[in-house]
Amino acid sequence: MGENKPDVLQGTLDLMVLKTLESMGPLHGYGIARRIEQVSGNALRLNQGTIYPALLRLEQRGWIKAEWGTSESNRRAKFYSLSRPGRKQIEKETENWERVAATMARFLAPSN
Amino acid sequence: MELIRILASRLKALFGGRRLDAELDDEVRAHIAMAVEENVARGMSAEEARTAALRAFGGVTQVKEQYRTRRGVPLLEQAWRDVRFGVRQLRRAPGFTATAILTLALGIGAVTSVYSVVDTVLLKPIAFRDPGRLVVMREAEEETEAGTRVMPDNYRHFMRLMGDTKTLEGAAIFDANGASVSLGSDHPRIVGAVTASPSFFRVLGVQPILGRDFVDSDANEGAARVVLLSYEGWQSFFQGDPRVVGRTLMNGGQPATVIGVLPAGVRFPDISIAPSLVTQSSLGAREDVIFEALRPNKFDLSADNSNFNYRAIARLKPDVTLARAQGELEGLQNAYSQSAHLPIRLGARLTPLNADVTSGISGALWLMFAAVGGVLLIACVNLANLQLVRAVTAERETAVRAALGASKSQLVMARLAESLIVAIAGGVGGVAFAVAGIRIFVAIAPGNIPRLNEVRLSLPVLLFAMALSVAAAIVFGILPALRSIGVQPQRALQRNSSRTASARDGGGTRSLLVGAQVACTVVLLIVTSLVLRSFSHLLHQERGFDTSHLTLAQVDLFSPQYGDNSLKVEATKQAFVDRTLTALGQLPGVQQVAISSAMPMTGETWIDELSRPDHPIPEAQKPMVNVRFVSEDYLKTMQIPLLAGRNFADSDRANPRVALISEGTARAGFNGENPVGRKLESIIPDGQQPVTVIGVVADTRINGLKNTALMVYVPYWAFAPWTPLILVRSTQASDALIPEMRKTIWNIDPTVAIPELKSMDEQVDESVATDRFQTVVLTSFGGAALLLALLGVYGVMAYSVSLRQQEFGIRIALGSGKAALIKLVLVQAATPVLLGAGVGLAAALLAVRWVQSLLFQTPVLDPVSIGGSLLVLLAAATLAATIPARRASSVDPMQTLRME
Repeated sequence: MGENKPDVLQGTLDLMVLKTLESMGPLHGYGIARRIEQVSGNALRLNQGTIYPALLRLEQRGWIKAEWGTSESNRRAKFYSLSRPGRKQIEKETENWERVAATMARFLAPSN
Repeated sequence: MELIRILASRLKALFGGRRLDAELDDEVRAHIAMAVEENVARGMSAEEARTAALRAFGGVTQVKEQYRTRRGVPLLEQAWRDVRFGVRQLRRAPGFTATAILTLALGIGAVTSVYSVVDTVLLKPIAFRDPGRLVVMREAEEETEAGTRVMPDNYRHFMRLMGDTKTLEGAAIFDANGASVSLGSDHPRIVGAVTASPSFFRVLGVQPILGRDFVDSDANEGAARVVLLSYEGWQSFFQGDPRVVGRTLMNGGQPATVIGVLPAGVRFPDISIAPSLVTQSSLGAREDVIFEALRPNKFDLSADNSNFNYRAIARLKPDVTLARAQGELEGLQNAYSQSAHLPIRLGARLTPLNADVTSGISGALWLMFAAVGGVLLIACVNLANLQLVRAVTAERETAVRAALGASKSQLVMARLAESLIVAIAGGVGGVAFAVAGIRIFVAIAPGNIPRLNEVRLSLPVLLFAMALSVAAAIVFGILPALRSIGVQPQRALQRNSSRTASARDGGGTRSLLVGAQVACTVVLLIVTSLVLRSFSHLLHQERGFDTSHLTLAQVDLFSPQYGDNSLKVEATKQAFVDRTLTALGQLPGVQQVAISSAMPMTGETWIDELSRPDHPIPEAQKPMVNVRFVSEDYLKTMQIPLLAGRNFADSDRANPRVALISEGTARAGFNGENPVGRKLESIIPDGQQPVTVIGVVADTRINGLKNTALMVYVPYWAFAPWTPLILVRSTQASDALIPEMRKTIWNIDPTVAIPELKSMDEQVDESVATDRFQTVVLTSFGGAALLLALLGVYGVMAYSVSLRQQEFGIRIALGSGKAALIKLVLVQAATPVLLGAGVGLAAALLAVRWVQSLLFQTPVLDPVSIGGSLLVLLAAATLAATIPARRASSVDPMQTLRME
């Protein structure tokens, strides 16, 4: 690979997945991975496979639901969608993330 | 909530693993296919598109593995692997495994079974309503010199106290005895009989399951005679007939109507008439009991200064303490003694019912419990030691596993799994031992331990004992594992050549544990040998009479023809005794026949104050003597030597106011003067006239092996007992004689009951049942402790020798002799053993004071017991160390050097 791309930050993948499902509606794993790559402008180094353990983790927590369906290319695929607790979780995670980001920004701002 | 959902989904995954794997495969396949499609659409070749898709996905296998870890319960899967590994490891060390499991099982089983008994007999409240408020009430005579004497209750005093008390909710006065009961057509049987004031069951809080309770009018003079039956009595006399109420039985030859049946298991506990008296159980063992309403006789209603004949039970009002009730009754009694101008000052004594019932046996049971606790402690220490030894053995293996990449937690988990397997197997064995132990305990226990039939496995203590030993197994299994984790695998592997190994590797800890174990064992051994010595003293005590070839028959004359005190009845009783003596004397093989008035070995009975008309003795100093009504051949039959004067003779029949006294009585009553020819007052029930002492006989331990009794013998011509004890000395064995004796007695009168018919040896045997039981149990605990200590010393020494094998090989190669090597090992073993023995000895010196009350004629500092115990322990320890020492000395130097 050799490209100078940052890794997906620990803990941010979950929020990305949730946010993707919020904006796109029910989506299969490949779609989610692609969407994340597109939104990040291909700036993140994401092994698409790592999306699956993340999806399982979110499903176990009850934030997303999964069911088998048919893709646009008529392929059998597992579709994930947000659950009601998942929607609430997005708010919470977003808040958290903004707090972290703001804190980091303050650290990084030129001192005066 | 979330946790439960995760767990549920994971558990589901655990069981549907294969299907879920397939689903993931499908999903990944779809993912790749979609990526390939997109890449192709963007213009890549099929080959390129696939490579790019796989690259973007990342490692498929890693993702799947990660996914599975996430999905399943990895801990559980890992645990299962650890368990299988542990079982394999344990099977490779069968010696360690067997010893550890057996140690655990013994410890848990012993402590649980003994505690279950202690719990039922001593700690669990008796099954009456609110038993904490039930108290036994006795009177006391507050003397000036000899302290306070606790006495049974006087009917008048009791009734007056009932009228005045404000602290008692209710009370009942009663007497417990035997009664001769039949249905009219059969030979009567002797059953327990409680004659109680009608409030008895109301105080206890018991209601009949059939019929009615007593009402106050049942005690009125001239009321119909009625009885309540115990459940067991109902079963045995009426086969549980549901229409028993209203039926009649014969009680002492008199008809009485059954008015009710009590619930199963209600058995009034045996309250001794006075705490100072050693009485063998009479009622306690009996299950068939009849209850009658107590009707006070003339004497009950008039006597104030005597007639202390009853037992009483009371229920405290709620919120009244024992001390407050005791204070109130004490005050009432004191005030009455003054206002009635009694020659004695009366007091009162209350004891909690539960404590009173168990007072005779609690010391022995607690001692046993302490002993078993000691065994458990030793077991735990032994286990800890085994685990330490085991951990060191496993250290190299641990190092290899660590070098191969096992994580720290995996290493600890492996040791934990192994310890847990041992602990669980030991626990299961412990439960089995506990169940068996309780059975054995109940089977060999003497009859005077109350409520034995209620003993059940005590679950809390089983759990406690298991928790304790399992904790010991685990803690000592893990500690060394934690330590070996700190060791670099490289170093551990290098240290493989074990020449210097025993210097470190927790050798100090192991020695400490051996020392602790030895100390505990010394304490147990000393207590055990004291109890053994005491029991041996008891059995080999000079008894003062010859028990061999003697057969006893106790006869109860509870029939109307023997009914009251009139002269005619006296003649009937005497005629029965005369005919019985003659008839039994004619049986083949019989050498002597005699009667007495009390069963031997049943404690003090028919006790009277000794008074002399010629020499008044102050009230407080009057000796208490046992009065026995005997036939003239009594001394010859029992082989009691006559020391002075003469025996009874036929010529005394016309004027039977004569007595023989024992040496002890002579000493206590006559102060060294010659008692022959002197007079004693009021020994015979109806006699106001004194009796003349005609002789002095040797002391005997007829009431119990522990004490010689003060005796006064009077011929039965003066008063024939209602329960004559017939003694037969014969060349025939008791077994053969017994049926003939029964036939002969029932030939003379079929309406008498014969509750006891056995050999004198048996009777003596039964009287020491408690002591024997205590001795047997303690000895087995002492033995178990010794065995465990032996294992402990052996295990540590054997291990240490095996570690130093190469060192010994080199020593031999350098010219060291066998004896020197054996000495080397023995000296190494001696340090912890000797230190432990010293500490144990010191602890024992403190502990034995506590067992003093259980010992008979054995000083707690008995040098034989203490010295013997130490010798046995040291011999065992030497033996345990010698086997490894010999192995050390027989190491083949060539072989060990080649192993380098």
